[in-house]
Amino acid sequence: MSIFNYLKNQIRGKSHLTLGFLLVTLLLFPLLVKSQFIIRVVINILIYIMLASSMNIINGFGGMFSIGHAGYYCVGAYTAAILSTRFGWSFWILLPLSGAMAGIVSMLLLGFPALRLRGLYFAMVTLGFSEVIRLIVLNWITLTRGPMGIPGIPFPTFFGNSIRYNWQFYYIILGIVVLMLFIIQRVLNSRIGRAWISIREDETAASAMGVEVFRYKLMNLFFATFWAGVAGCIYAFFARYISADSFTLDEGFSILAMVIVGGQGSFIGPILGPFLLLTLTEIFRGIAQYRLIIFGAAILIVMHLRPGGIAGGRMHSIKLSNIQEIKQKLSVRQDK
Amino acid sequence: MFYLQQIINGIAQGSIYALTAIGYAIILGIVNIPSFVHGDVMMIGAFAGYYSVLLFPDNLLLVFIIVFAATWVLGIIVDMVCYRRFRNSPRQVMLICTVGFSIFLKSSSQVIFGTRQKLIPNILGNNFFALGEIRITFVQIFIVSVVIFTVFLLQLLLYRTKIGLSVRAVSMHKSASALVGINVNQAMRFGNCLGCALGGIAGILLGVYYNAVHPLMGGNAAMKAFIAVIFGGINIPGAALGGLLLGIFENMGVSFFGSGYRDIVGYVILIIVLLIKPSGLLGRKESEIRI
Repeated sequence: MSIFNYLKNQIRGKSHLTLGFLLVTLLLFPLLVKSQFIIRVVINILIYIMLASSMNIINGFGGMFSIGHAGYYCVGAYTAAILSTRFGWSFWILLPLSGAMAGIVSMLLLGFPALRLRGLYFAMVTLGFSEVIRLIVLNWITLTRGPMGIPGIPFPTFFGNSIRYNWQFYYIILGIVVLMLFIIQRVLNSRIGRAWISIREDETAASAMGVEVFRYKLMNLFFATFWAGVAGCIYAFFARYISADSFTLDEGFSILAMVIVGGQGSFIGPILGPFLLLTLTEIFRGIAQYRLIIFGAAILIVMHLRPGGIAGGRMHSIKLSNIQEIKQKLSVRQDK
Repeated sequence: MFYLQQIINGIAQGSIYALTAIGYAIILGIVNIPSFVHGDVMMIGAFAGYYSVLLFPDNLLLVFIIVFAATWVLGIIVDMVCYRRFRNSPRQVMLICTVGFSIFLKSSSQVIFGTRQKLIPNILGNNFFALGEIRITFVQIFIVSVVIFTVFLLQLLLYRTKIGLSVRAVSMHKSASALVGINVNQAMRFGNCLGCALGGIAGILLGVYYNAVHPLMGGNAAMKAFIAVIFGGINIPGAALGGLLLGIFENMGVSFFGSGYRDIVGYVILIIVLLIKPSGLLGRKESEIRI
């Protein structure tokens, strides 16, 4: 793993330089690359970066374990699709609205009843919740057209100009993703983010220090699912056709895989995870049936090489019951 | 009469769910995470059964032995790939490994076996008993009797042998069972293989019930097993009860609301049970997962 450490050391201390270089590359990207296919792939990666980052807020920072992220994505996408095709609402209003819708649905229907469950039991509820949303969408034909899906979502407009080319979408989505990452970074470094991390580390200790656990967990859920809903809205306008098949459990599992492969609980992990996994699978697009085999194998290989993910986050507290873990941590410290 | 018929169909389907759920409960007790690879183990078992039925159409016992052996070997691979190295890691690592392995198995079997569904030759025929308006097909009787027989053998294995005892001990407490001299790794592998092999048999039964096998059949069936385990409680009697009840409820739900809502019944049960009694019908406390 020395190559990772080498890169880490190279980047460390020059983060502004790296960030600037990255931004310039991303801005110039559509000018340099003429292939429409590659631009579409990159837009896809950007959408998954949104989803993975928002899931990372719940799983990596909130200390909860959610599997059913596809459900909130579905709520956002269908809110945007229905309101824009039936009432002609604009993309820019729907962007926060579908996010808020996903957030409210998750907070009221999932958060209030299910937050008192811990760990795996919470994970199971989110899984069931995601699938229930998909099945309702599939069966409520008068609202969602069921298995036929919603086609013909209009092009968004930007100061009167209709956005219809891939490079225009690319710049808008890039802008939203950068804005989202900035907001997430600021929130995580604020009082709220610190409270989430303290809940993740130890709930009892956090509440003893005056953190209202339930309220902060609800806020965490709302904040994370808000961005999942925004990603759904973007997906609906970009793909221009949505159906319930896009939001199966497998979708939620791939988002989870991207988070964990990238490194749960780190800020950069959910950016690296989708990038790695989607680039790998798109390289093998030519042999379509092997694509998913490579996706599965890549998850297994990364987990075997780096069980903490590529940019694995570090837990700050040590549980006294697990002697093995304490020994490992102590030995790591001695090495340094 | 109509509802009685639905209950009988539900019992036949529910007994398959029950067998899957028992295997799932053993694995859940051993590794403490929901294994998402179980559906694909079932699918591989169903395909092994399909090919061995083509090879040996007369000898059903041999078919079941082949299925059992094939999924047992697959269980060893699952243990090697997903569980063994990550015993002391955070548990989402194991979970995501099962997800990755499931994607891998599903898509490679789509490449190997083809995406079309394969029809299992109808060995038992379409005969049925008729009691008034109620029909009980031979297939249903066959399935229920296979499930009862397998569960009987499983009870003998878990409660009358030494390795069964160590599997039960490991699923209660790993460090404590290591202290009294149980080979934890071996017992975990054995339990996982046992769960997978039961899943394989359930897979071929599912294939016989629907008369077809295809590479994507596992996912839904494994979710049903998962719901059944949560519904009944994470232990063997709980899983069996949960599976049977889930089968009956589903068939009743279909007759009330229509077939589009078949899967939603299970998930609604899952959410309600988790909110009201997270340990399940026959479960013990929330914190203890044991078989």
